[in-house]
Amino acid sequence: MNPIILIASKESGELLGSGRGLGWLLALSVILSVLALLLVSNTELSLLDNAQVVYMVMGTITALGGLLALVLGSDAIAGEKERGTLIPLLLTPLTTTQMVLGKMGGQVVAWVLMYALSLPYLWAVGSSGQNLVQAIAYLALFGTPVVLGFGFYAIGLSARFGNVRTALLAALITLMLLASPLLIGPSLRQSTLGKLFDMVNPFSAALNTFDSVVIDSQPFSMQLGRFSVTLIWLALTLWFARRSAQAMEI
Amino acid sequence: MLIEVADLKLSIHANPVLNGVRLTMQEGEIYGLLGPNGAGKSTTLSVLTGLRAADSGKVNVLGLAPMQQKRELHGKLGVLAEDSGFYGWMSAHGYLHWMARLYGRELSAVEMARRLEQVGLNAANRQAIKTYSRGMKQRLGLARALLNDPQLLILDEPTNGLDPRGRREIHDVLLELSREHGVGILLCTHLLDDVDRLCSRIGIINQGKTLLEGVLAELLADKTGANRYRLRVAASSATSGTLPQGVKLLAQEGGWLHLDIAPGVHPDAAWRELFALGWGITEIRSEGGGLEELYLNITETEVVA
Repeated sequence: MNPIILIASKESGELLGSGRGLGWLLALSVILSVLALLLVSNTELSLLDNAQVVYMVMGTITALGGLLALVLGSDAIAGEKERGTLIPLLLTPLTTTQMVLGKMGGQVVAWVLMYALSLPYLWAVGSSGQNLVQAIAYLALFGTPVVLGFGFYAIGLSARFGNVRTALLAALITLMLLASPLLIGPSLRQSTLGKLFDMVNPFSAALNTFDSVVIDSQPFSMQLGRFSVTLIWLALTLWFARRSAQAMEI
Repeated sequence: MLIEVADLKLSIHANPVLNGVRLTMQEGEIYGLLGPNGAGKSTTLSVLTGLRAADSGKVNVLGLAPMQQKRELHGKLGVLAEDSGFYGWMSAHGYLHWMARLYGRELSAVEMARRLEQVGLNAANRQAIKTYSRGMKQRLGLARALLNDPQLLILDEPTNGLDPRGRREIHDVLLELSREHGVGILLCTHLLDDVDRLCSRIGIINQGKTLLEGVLAELLADKTGANRYRLRVAASSATSGTLPQGVKLLAQEGGWLHLDIAPGVHPDAAWRELFALGWGITEIRSEGGGLEELYLNITETEVVA
């Protein structure tokens, strides 16, 4: 069997077999349930346009996916090191690239599960609108490289720091920085610096695409630039994870 | 040659950790690597296994350069690292199957049972590893190290946490591997009894430097006077006359005869010849020190110097 699949199957088994993975899925369900309930029942939020509501849920799912990827990625190598299971792995004929990709395999499973779990919520809030199918497709197309990129990035930090807490802290700071377009006001986003940041930020690329497609009904051909940003993010973080794993100190 | 290390040097964060390690090991040999805590034993092992790059010196393991030919080396090498962990949620059976696949091997049920039996884990093989005692984990670690039928086995404190019977069982496994399968074993341990029982050659390192290396029996004879004996003989027996070749009478006091046996002369042969000469030997005692004395002498000398 391919070593990448072997590592991925171990990662998935560990995630699903332990309370940790199930806890994540439960937490996700609770958050999405509360969000959906607020969007439907809250006086102000229920006045939002249906497309706006779908856009908000898509953004939340992507952010939560990124957060999950950071948590799993931070533990991927540093956690193995702390538990003493890394050295036996490094003493097999496995290459560092195979190990990194195998670890990512576990995260892919987690993201797929999370995506599948979020579909009923998307349907619940978006079934009365016109862009539900696009929302589901674009969440997969743009959310996946952004989320997996966060995973690779956290794996890289995990290998560099060799300590789960430090890696997780650094990864969370990065997530907050990249998610800042959600937090800063429209005037700052319209400044030159804001626009430049928006242009290279994969998280913004995904959110702006969701906005353009779901709210403004733009075609895919107009999203190619943003799609490239997410793919470049994925490639760069994969490169970072590989380099960090190759250079890690035992 | 299985391992060839010469003038190995390595600094970690500008702190010299290895400063002239040498080590040579032949096929089928059991080599004991000894040294106090922090001497650089584990770091030496990490260089040998390709987990860490040396700053300078020659490192050759199974004819390969560990850092440059890591994958090839790991396919031929079995390692039990100190405090190496396991996935507690897996069973020993599942874990060994999974690890074997990483080596590109598929173990049959019979083969798996044989391997578990070899290390004494067959009865508990379906239990989750997190329920295992330290000794059981050591046994599982040894089974893991043997998964790829290695030509060279590197073991860091393999009998840690084992009771005397367990230790003896692991000794038997290692001796069988060495004698019947020609597997070379590099043993890194604090337990001198393990070294005494298993190793034919030893190396002692301290402060990152090899202080002594050689055949254990020769080192003991040379450094601790292990070739000296005292004999009690029956009062009526004859002890005068020409002694056998290589046997020298040093002194006679209180009913004991102090003898020196030259290196190369087997003591058993010397006793037989003395019996033949009419010596009524009733008791034989070795006057030389053991491995512990050798180890303490060497490491103490270095610290004082």
